[in-house]
Amino acid sequence: MNGHPIRDEDFDLYALGALEDDEKRAIESHVAACSPCAGKLAEARGRVALLAFAAPVVDPSPRVKQRLLEQIRSASEDHPAERARGASERPGGFMGRWWTAALVPAGVVLALAAIFLWKEDARLGKELAAERAYIERMQKELDGVREVSALVQDKDTMTISLAPMPGMPQGTAHVFFNSQMGKLMCDGAIAPAPKNMTYQLWLVPKQGDPISAGFFDAATGEYSSWMATVPKGVAPMAFAVTIEPAGGMPHPTGPKVLVGRAS
Amino acid sequence: MRASDAALIEGILRRDEAALATLYDRYARMLSSTLNRILRDTQAAEEILQDIFFQLWRAPSQFDASRGTLPGWLLIIARNRAISRLRRHNPAAGEALFETTVVLPVNIESALAREQLLGRVKSAMEKLPVEQRATIELAYFEGLTHSEIARRTGDPLGTVKTRLRSAVETLRRDLQP
Repeated sequence: MNGHPIRDEDFDLYALGALEDDEKRAIESHVAACSPCAGKLAEARGRVALLAFAAPVVDPSPRVKQRLLEQIRSASEDHPAERARGASERPGGFMGRWWTAALVPAGVVLALAAIFLWKEDARLGKELAAERAYIERMQKELDGVREVSALVQDKDTMTISLAPMPGMPQGTAHVFFNSQMGKLMCDGAIAPAPKNMTYQLWLVPKQGDPISAGFFDAATGEYSSWMATVPKGVAPMAFAVTIEPAGGMPHPTGPKVLVGRAS
Repeated sequence: MRASDAALIEGILRRDEAALATLYDRYARMLSSTLNRILRDTQAAEEILQDIFFQLWRAPSQFDASRGTLPGWLLIIARNRAISRLRRHNPAAGEALFETTVVLPVNIESALAREQLLGRVKSAMEKLPVEQRATIELAYFEGLTHSEIARRTGDPLGTVKTRLRSAVETLRRDLQP
């Protein structure tokens, strides 16, 4: 290229890197000897550099800065001469000593802070696990409430009150039963059961054998409430509570304590 | 009060970590965006980003304010490094850029100025016809020459040259200070 580039965009195309080798060499040889065009090229480089702003914004991870600062500290430790040079370039030696004196305790503080943060991290981890367990527990409770609500509000759910049989431990219970859902809920309380014995609830169908439907808190006699799943479509004749060996039995074997007829 | 880039470079010369950290905070996002756009690889982008600032820390005197503005240098070095990596070229080729002169048409030392510039560049790019925008992006973000773009897109070389020249003309006009 003997004269100036024909068009100013050539500098931008050069800065962009779009020109082929021979075109690039022509501009380079001209710019080397022409300061006005060197200035135009510098401006074109700046203009083209702005195209970087067309990129989608991506914030760097905070760890990059952290690693960078660790790297420069490490480099200073590896090259004390560089550190000394840096110190000699500072406005005054006193300032250098002052900073060194300040950095040593700062390092100790950082180490202590790291230990504290590590412990804090462990503590927060435990708290987080506890919070998760609590949330899971609450979720289960919520699911239980929803299940009870669905059962109690269903139009096909029947309510059966169980009354104590003469001469048996005192108690009372109610059963909410839905044959189509195959679910029941029982709540009630009975006086404490004899040692190694328990109170077992039975669904007594119109046809077939009684079906086990859960247990009372036999040891304390305190109020019990539970949901139980039974085969769907069973037509109930009654619900009964019997005294059975601890752990329950597949079929009723003991005397009836509470009985309620399904109407 | 905001420290100028020149004052922060002076700080780095005095081995002031805070000066480097301030420059990092100022320009890391701009560079990270460029590096990620070129490389589409977060880890590689982070490596180069860290290395650029580490190089600035180790050899701040390589930056000569009389040769241009710091963000311009940083952008050109970042692009060069990323494209070298993308094309498996020797990254050392980027080092010579310290000896080139770059003049940004605007001062972007303030966050507001950078945000305004971001809006202007995006707006200018969006105004370009789709083919022109795609062509200039292939040149800038992938470092392709006219003939490489023609091979990549299957368009005639003359068409590629016309598109790129038209795009450059438009951007020169739209990005004037």
